[in-house]
Amino acid sequence: MSGHDSKYFSTTKKGEIPELKEELNSQYKDKRKDAVKKVIAAMTVGKDVSSLFTDVVNCMQTENLELKKLVYLYLINYAKSQPDLAILAVNTFVKDSQDPNPLIRALAVRTMGCIRVDKITEYLCDPLERCLKDDDPYVRKTASICVAKLYDINAELVEDRGFLDTLKDLISDNNPMVVANAVAALAEIQENSKMPIFEITNNTLSKLLAALNECTEWGQVFILDALSKYKAEDAREAENIVERVTPRLQHANCAVVLSAVKMILQQMELITSTDMIRNLCKKMAPPLVTLLSAESEIQYVALRNINLIVQKRPTILAHEIKVFFCKYNDPIYVKMEKLEIMIKLASDRNIDQVLLEFKEYATEVDVDFVRKAVRAIGRCAIKLERAAERCISVLLELIKIKVNYVVQEAIIVIKDIFRRYPNTYESIIATLCESLDTLDEPEAKASMIWIIGEYAERIDNADELLESFLESFPEEPALVQLQLLTATVKLFLKKPTEGPQQMIQVVLNNATVETDNPDLRDRAYIYWRLLSTDPEAAKDVVLAEKPVISDDCDQLDSSLLNDLLANIATISSVYHKRPDAFVSRVKASVPKPDSDDITEGSEAGYSESPSHVTEATPVPGSSSLSSGTQPALVPDLLGDLIGLDNAIVPVDQTSPPSGPPLPVLLPSSSGQGLQISAQLTRRDGQIFYNILFENNSDNSLDGFMIQFNKNTFGIAAAGPLQVSQLQPGSSTTTLLLMVISQNLSAGPPSSVLQVAVKNNQQPVWYFQDKIPLHVFFLEDGRMERGVFLETWKSLPDANEITKDLPSAIVRNLDATIDHLASSNIFFIAKRKNANKDLLYLSAKTPKNTIFLVELTVLVGTPGIRCAIKTPSPEMALLFFETMETLLN
Amino acid sequence: MISQFFVLSQRGDNIVFRDYRGEVSKGSAEIFFRKVKFWKGDDVDEAPPVFNVDGVNYVHVKVAGLLFVATTRINISPSLVLELLQRIARIIKDYLGILNEDSLRKNFVLVYELLDEVIDFGYPQTTSTEVLKSYIFNEPIVVENAHLPNLGPAAMFVQGSKRMPGTAVTKSVVSTEPGGRKREEIFVDIIEKISVTFSSSGYILTSEIDGTIQMKSYLSGNPEIRLALNEDLRIGERGGSSHGYGSSTGGVVILDDCNFHESIHLDSFDVDRTLSLVPPDGEFSVMNYRMTQEFKPPFHVVALIEESGSCKAEVTIKVRADFPSSITANTIKIQMPLPAYTTRVSFELGSGVAGNTTDFKEATKKLEWGLKKIVGGSEHTLRAKLTFSQDSHVNLTKEAGPVNMAFTIPMYNASRLQVKYLQIAKKSKAYNPYRWVRYVTQSNSYVIRL
Repeated sequence: MSGHDSKYFSTTKKGEIPELKEELNSQYKDKRKDAVKKVIAAMTVGKDVSSLFTDVVNCMQTENLELKKLVYLYLINYAKSQPDLAILAVNTFVKDSQDPNPLIRALAVRTMGCIRVDKITEYLCDPLERCLKDDDPYVRKTASICVAKLYDINAELVEDRGFLDTLKDLISDNNPMVVANAVAALAEIQENSKMPIFEITNNTLSKLLAALNECTEWGQVFILDALSKYKAEDAREAENIVERVTPRLQHANCAVVLSAVKMILQQMELITSTDMIRNLCKKMAPPLVTLLSAESEIQYVALRNINLIVQKRPTILAHEIKVFFCKYNDPIYVKMEKLEIMIKLASDRNIDQVLLEFKEYATEVDVDFVRKAVRAIGRCAIKLERAAERCISVLLELIKIKVNYVVQEAIIVIKDIFRRYPNTYESIIATLCESLDTLDEPEAKASMIWIIGEYAERIDNADELLESFLESFPEEPALVQLQLLTATVKLFLKKPTEGPQQMIQVVLNNATVETDNPDLRDRAYIYWRLLSTDPEAAKDVVLAEKPVISDDCDQLDSSLLNDLLANIATISSVYHKRPDAFVSRVKASVPKPDSDDITEGSEAGYSESPSHVTEATPVPGSSSLSSGTQPALVPDLLGDLIGLDNAIVPVDQTSPPSGPPLPVLLPSSSGQGLQISAQLTRRDGQIFYNILFENNSDNSLDGFMIQFNKNTFGIAAAGPLQVSQLQPGSSTTTLLLMVISQNLSAGPPSSVLQVAVKNNQQPVWYFQDKIPLHVFFLEDGRMERGVFLETWKSLPDANEITKDLPSAIVRNLDATIDHLASSNIFFIAKRKNANKDLLYLSAKTPKNTIFLVELTVLVGTPGIRCAIKTPSPEMALLFFETMETLLN
Repeated sequence: MISQFFVLSQRGDNIVFRDYRGEVSKGSAEIFFRKVKFWKGDDVDEAPPVFNVDGVNYVHVKVAGLLFVATTRINISPSLVLELLQRIARIIKDYLGILNEDSLRKNFVLVYELLDEVIDFGYPQTTSTEVLKSYIFNEPIVVENAHLPNLGPAAMFVQGSKRMPGTAVTKSVVSTEPGGRKREEIFVDIIEKISVTFSSSGYILTSEIDGTIQMKSYLSGNPEIRLALNEDLRIGERGGSSHGYGSSTGGVVILDDCNFHESIHLDSFDVDRTLSLVPPDGEFSVMNYRMTQEFKPPFHVVALIEESGSCKAEVTIKVRADFPSSITANTIKIQMPLPAYTTRVSFELGSGVAGNTTDFKEATKKLEWGLKKIVGGSEHTLRAKLTFSQDSHVNLTKEAGPVNMAFTIPMYNASRLQVKYLQIAKKSKAYNPYRWVRYVTQSNSYVIRL
């Protein structure tokens, strides 16, 4: 071989393809080889060299392995686009699969499996069958993987030809590479099949455990992962398994270590001996810590996993907190994870050490890291009562450095500390007040204002302090306005003197007349009413004792935690999401509604962050600490089911279904006797999913769970489904409170709502529902006539969309107006045009999308023309859909 | 399993791209690069090694300035992918002698050939350079390494990687010497990365050694090798709970934890601390270990910052090398973040300033002090006068520092773990291959708080 491969990249002359063609057909072997290299070079930079297919394939019949491999590489790439030509290569493949050289035999099956062309697969079966029983282990291990390839293209063929049985036999092969690949192939096939193909029995278990010791590191991971699905029968078996797996903890490959940890953690659930468990915890600690000596990337994965492990078994690493101290050269993503774990491991014993670290971090350069460090101090204060005072003194020290973002972050956490330990640390308020003028972040401002209002009676100049904020009231963000309103009311109730009296009038005026924020206005009116009717009642309400908060904001709900722990050493444990929240590989053999379009354009991964929910309760930030809502899990569909046990989910299990019958979404014929009817409805300003379960099967069903796929509106369950056991022949309805903007999908708006329901007895059921747009229409969507006209004019004509609704009918104008108003589409005006009536209406969604509607109606005759004008014309189709439903 | 593997340059150019399963779109490399380059996360603005865009999981590592990336749609083991990516980088380096954009481009056919053997249908098959040799037919085109100055002991480590995949040699495992004969030699490197955090009063807050025994064998015929470590080496016992010198452990080396390459036989390890192995070709870690037992830090550093008048302050950094004078540390760099309102810095160096550089990085407000070398036992001092644009209102130590130090010390190891001997099973009396056993200590995170 002469010269450098890169010279093949530099051909820029005209007529490259004809030139290559000529060289490919050269009589000299070396020239042909060079030419194929050039072709592949062109291919790798994205040039289209498919027209050379025949010429390249002609070079395939060669004894030269190097050239053969090159041709194979080319074939894999282009066979798909040139299926007919690919057939030309078949004969050579088949011939090669019987070559005396095992490398060529393996190469042939490997490559044939990669050519995803149906016609090829027919020819692949015979060679594959031979190669699976080849004498050479290299050929057998290649053939094992090839079965998975073929299954991916044509599952039936694999089943018909009995390749699955051959694969299962290969689990007992004497070559560990073959065993590992057979296991990998079977595991993948099982993953994509509904039938039980690869079930770990007692027998396979012992075979695989034996192979474990001989395998390559990668094979060990395949085997451990396959075995992790095995449920030991009793404690003794679990102990045996653990004993066999424990030596893997010493492996240099982090993947092996983590997979072994997963396996051990799982078996530990069954082990009853506390000695054994203590011993295992002790054994797992050093390898887990050693993972932190690996590359930063692996450290990150390890830390995300350790985060889960310490939640379940805090003792394992209780004494290792020092290894989680940040190194100055750690990447930021590693530092952040270490902080989380430090908070989790902080205890009365090590808090001094930990605080010293946090204090250092809080003076570092990276702003996000500094903020997180400050927050960490606050969380330790809330978590460890005995250390609270020390934490606070560190925070005060930090405030004195007067770095703006440190001060603001500190004030936010101190507010939480006050909530946790009321009437304990108020002496520091004076120090906080010194920084008052520097606050420019809404959350910090809101926190400070809350503190002033809460302790107004102890702050001599509380009225002055609040007054200084009032000047900019109209410009403040909603979060700050709400706090100012509440704090002023508190001040007035505590010090009903002239100053506060004037202030309260200013605030109430600002918050009712001058604002268009409904939350603010409503709250202001409530206070106003309270204050004017019964000041004592106002005191009871506004100055009521608040529940004490606790630090559980990063504790995962136990069922999610258990699911994630079962997924240790997988991507799921890195994202802290259940696999079904982001895995989208879907096979034709498993028809599910959540196919590709679900993930397309949507971000299901780590990068997605929970949006901060604007605080609507009078206590800022308390919900982020107390209610146990889970952060970072918004897109996790099942995740929504849990963690909200204390949320108010109106459950109406016994009431009979009222109103028209619910549409049947899952007929009992396709639900193995389970019939589900459901509809989204709006009641009292909230959205509910009204569901009727009918059990026509012979078994009682329990453990119902529901899950909603990503959708245009991000509609999801606010809490778990509350359906108890359903006896055969019985039925139950439930109202499930829904929330929006939880699991949003991107792409054009669509009313499709995909729902999955599972129970303990049956497979998961998927069905589809339609989201009627009107469930989102707000009760306060009514518009003044003038505003309507102005808005109509201000919107460009392009935003006006008209549609005829042929089957819609109005029989009585007033009845229709009432009917629409009950769906929050409000009547504004009407006029007559010839014999037709023109109705003007308006509606508004939570995202402040307004719809201005003009209906042209001929009473008593089907066919209504609906014209709408909206800033969001992309929603028009959905609006028409909902109108059509309402007017039918 | 993984769907695609690709290597991108720092500019985002596609150097290598291999699709194994055809289930992720071809545009993934571009999507990935854009995402990484403009990462905007919750808390951090550096992309984590595993993330998901549109249902595709991207797993990546940075090696030698290149991005090694794998994509997958399934809930795979991310540590498996990360390890695999590191391993692929290492195999390529084994074959090409040197890993960079140029060598990859010049050897793309060989690289694709390797990738087809290493991964099949997304499943890692073998990552042993030794095993691969029997399936690989292309020969590497060795790229001259023009960029590294010369192979001084410091240049032999690729910076930035914790486990230091690069060792001494930039020589392909398959190429032969110009004379057509392979030189019989074996390299054993004991590489330790140390992390120490000193409190403002000079106490050690945390200290840790991450060590690895790296081997690269060019021996023909794969003879068996015996490697003997300190006989009294202890593993998994915790030393004294606090740091402080001269504790009861005496001269015994105690490791917290260690792990071994799969080719190692540990039959007699428990008895006499010897490892026996038939070294596979290519570079690999014989053993990784971790130690938190107290050790004497190689450098004692004192850093001070004091106000010296209105809008003025003075910084003093003193470094003392606490190791024998026969040993010399090199490429030392000391950095100290200064208060954000620092406008000007003037430096004053003590004696023996040859090879010293000083700098004030305006953009990052960092003071930098570089020393080419420090001989054991010597002491060096840097004074810097700072001018501020405003008066400091609080304790300056809260707004400056911590000081961090980077260095390499050849022929020194902090843990005192040693290779007592390296025995090669002899084929004949005349067989006497070259044996290189070398020690190097590098800083990982060497921090002095103010």
